[in-house]
Amino acid sequence: MSRHNWRVILTVILVILAFIAFWNTFKLWTMSEADKETLNERDPGALLHLQQKAIRLGLDLQGGIHVVLRVKMEELDKGSREDAVERAMQIIRNRVDGLGVAEPVIRKQGNDRIIVDLPGYTDAARAEELIGQTALLEFKLLETYDNTSLILTKIDSVIHDNEQAKKDTTGKTPQETTMVAQETEPPADTTAESTGEDILTELMGDSAVDTTGMFAFEEETDLDENLNPLTSRLETALYNNRSSTNWPGFAVLKKDRELIDKWLNLPQIQSLIPVDVQFAWSTRPEIRNNREIYLLYLVKRKVQFLGKFLQNIHLGQDSYGGYDVNFALSGDGAARFSQLTGANIDKPLAIVIDNKVESAPFINSKIRRRGQITMGSSATVKDARNLEIVLKAGALPAPVEIIEKNIVGATLGADSIKKGFFSSLVGLTLVLLFIGFYYRLSGIIADVGLLFNLFFLLAVMAGLGATLTMPGIAGIILTIGISVDANVLIFERIREELRTGKTVRASIDAGYTRAFVAIFDSHVTTLVTAGALFLLGSGPIKGFAVTLFWGVTISLYTAYIITKQIFDIRKGYRTLSI
Amino acid sequence: MYRIIGETHINFIGARKYAFLLSAALIIIGLVAFAMVVTGKANLGIDFAGGVMVTGHFEQPVTIGELRSAVTVEFPDAEITNLKDFEKPNAFIIKTKRPESEAEGKQRLETLEKIILETFEGNTFTIVSEHIIGPAVGETLRGDAQKAVLLSLFGIIAYIWIRFDFRSGIAASIAALHDVLAVLGVFYLLNLEFDLLLVTALLTLAGYSLTDTVVVFDRIRENLKKFRTKGEFAHAVNSSINEVLSRTINTSLTTLLVVGTLFFFGGEVVRYFALALILGVLVGTYSSIFVASPIAVEWEARRPKRFK
Repeated sequence: MSRHNWRVILTVILVILAFIAFWNTFKLWTMSEADKETLNERDPGALLHLQQKAIRLGLDLQGGIHVVLRVKMEELDKGSREDAVERAMQIIRNRVDGLGVAEPVIRKQGNDRIIVDLPGYTDAARAEELIGQTALLEFKLLETYDNTSLILTKIDSVIHDNEQAKKDTTGKTPQETTMVAQETEPPADTTAESTGEDILTELMGDSAVDTTGMFAFEEETDLDENLNPLTSRLETALYNNRSSTNWPGFAVLKKDRELIDKWLNLPQIQSLIPVDVQFAWSTRPEIRNNREIYLLYLVKRKVQFLGKFLQNIHLGQDSYGGYDVNFALSGDGAARFSQLTGANIDKPLAIVIDNKVESAPFINSKIRRRGQITMGSSATVKDARNLEIVLKAGALPAPVEIIEKNIVGATLGADSIKKGFFSSLVGLTLVLLFIGFYYRLSGIIADVGLLFNLFFLLAVMAGLGATLTMPGIAGIILTIGISVDANVLIFERIREELRTGKTVRASIDAGYTRAFVAIFDSHVTTLVTAGALFLLGSGPIKGFAVTLFWGVTISLYTAYIITKQIFDIRKGYRTLSI
Repeated sequence: MYRIIGETHINFIGARKYAFLLSAALIIIGLVAFAMVVTGKANLGIDFAGGVMVTGHFEQPVTIGELRSAVTVEFPDAEITNLKDFEKPNAFIIKTKRPESEAEGKQRLETLEKIILETFEGNTFTIVSEHIIGPAVGETLRGDAQKAVLLSLFGIIAYIWIRFDFRSGIAASIAALHDVLAVLGVFYLLNLEFDLLLVTALLTLAGYSLTDTVVVFDRIRENLKKFRTKGEFAHAVNSSINEVLSRTINTSLTTLLVVGTLFFFGGEVVRYFALALILGVLVGTYSSIFVASPIAVEWEARRPKRFK
């Protein structure tokens, strides 16, 4: 038996790996709705995180939205058709981000189509509004740093009192923490490089910054013990060489965004925010110091300027290799823009698209007909391109129409999953019983192999981040059939060998060996089919192909390694229950 | 030892003439069905033809007739199904087919929803799912499905050619095609819908049929080593079929157990998928015995070459 030890070791390793891969899925699936709510209450974002790591459920099983859009090229003139799809996609991406969808997919199809998948999101009206609307680009001023920190500290104490009230019965004295917003020394003065053109400067990610007295991320503490629940989650986003103004945007770790949103929407906090300003997030997360962050801005509500007056937007590069985005102003807009920039030199001007801040460059000088936004030294071409696309999208919106829509409500999804699971369970039980009765003890060994097969299959799907769909469940059911077939082939062969008068041991070995060719060939032909389906199939068919492919592969393993090993545990067989 | 059947000596190969007649009939019906699908005349599902589909439930009882008469005024080709096993009562699926343009799809959906809202005022209709598929998208999907079928067919012929010989590859593929066409034909005769799920089922049953055929061929390959004289080819084939018969029946039975469960408990969405698989298991079992092996026998009788 010792020569077979590698089988045991390999199987144990695989079982451990499978447990690890399957763990998050197991946790999620065994959670009740109430548990999920408590988890979300305690730590928003944790549920989303768990969903991302578990086996994903397709649109048909958990509900969700699948939309195909067409960019109406015929409504655009020739020059603006180029990039129109990219512009529309960028806008949709900005809007979808932050909806709390675990795996949104936004992808281009053909020349003028965009596919948007929002699994798990079932608010159809809201989604259509988000996806189908034309982009609105506005320029707004930001609230000053001093005023912003004042408001933030007020909010802090309200949240703190709130959390305190919730946990009052515990009788703990709050630990003194020292973070408070302080007035601060302005950071060291360095002069902005001047170029011949009128410039808005956006300097991103310069690292040499004095952060004394600014907000900084704190070690996490219990909510009820933290005097500054909000500001301890903010970091003053200082990346500039400006002397006169502090940057009024704050970095927020991606995971904290949902929580902060929740706080900011509380009525008692809304009442603390002056009516002429509002909080706004940056359009997309960025990586800073190896952390994924969003920026939070306090924006003045008054619209200073509209994106539709921008013209001739294009990406450029200066002689030092830094990127910039150039634009011109149309006749109507030029006067207004020069007045706006002239009156607000050295202040940041927020570029707001659909109520999210794309960026907030400082105004360097009065801009009349032509302007330029220079990016900081660490900005990549992608950052610059994003800004260019957003400006273009605001200046030249790409109108879209919905041509394909697939909305599955949560109830229908829940209904499908219930039926899928139920029928799988019934089918599985019937097969286990049939095999157990027909082949008796050997049949039970085959049943064990079958259960291993299903467990490994689910683990592989979790590990691969595959999506389980209704056809996927059908694929699993078919895997059951294939796995059983392998064992039936082997057992029938063993029976034949026994009939020829061989010893039990010799019959088992001969049965396994002789059945191998047939099993291998039949499995490979199924793999070929699964492969073709995977390559050329779409959506639901792909889900079917993935489960079938892995199910068949694992079936070879369970039949030849696991069940054979169980047969080999006993060395001297006199009789065999088959 | 439980045995459903014992050792058998049925002369399957002797009955091949009758089997060929039956198979030819199945293939002809299947080819007609296939032509109808390709030309778009068959009952194509909205994922292939394009169309609009709304699923929802009413608060108070509504008969299917009432709903039909309300909808067909505007959409004469609308199809309405009562979703009986949905967890909410009074649930229906309403489908209309083939919008002329992409934009028309959305228009139709809105009109449909408006009609329902106005006709059944006071009786709330909750929509649980909506689908719009434009005609072009349907065509792309149909094209992809056809490509997937062709690719897997070539892959399988190549594989069997390598593992056995060219003749076996062709015989096995004919058997698989025969099964696909037979199920396609049955679906056409029953006027059931051709959709993406059916294509999945067809490919699956092609795989199943091949598995069955490969198992028989494997046994033939093994037995041919025992039968040394040329004239015994048909005999070798016949005993191979008999030898693997209990495996064939057992596997078919277990597979039927699972797809049968899917048919009865899997819900509306997969019912016809499961039906296609049930038919596929039956016809696949038949074809491995009566189609693939007899083709090999006929071929050998005309141009003797012997299996490897």
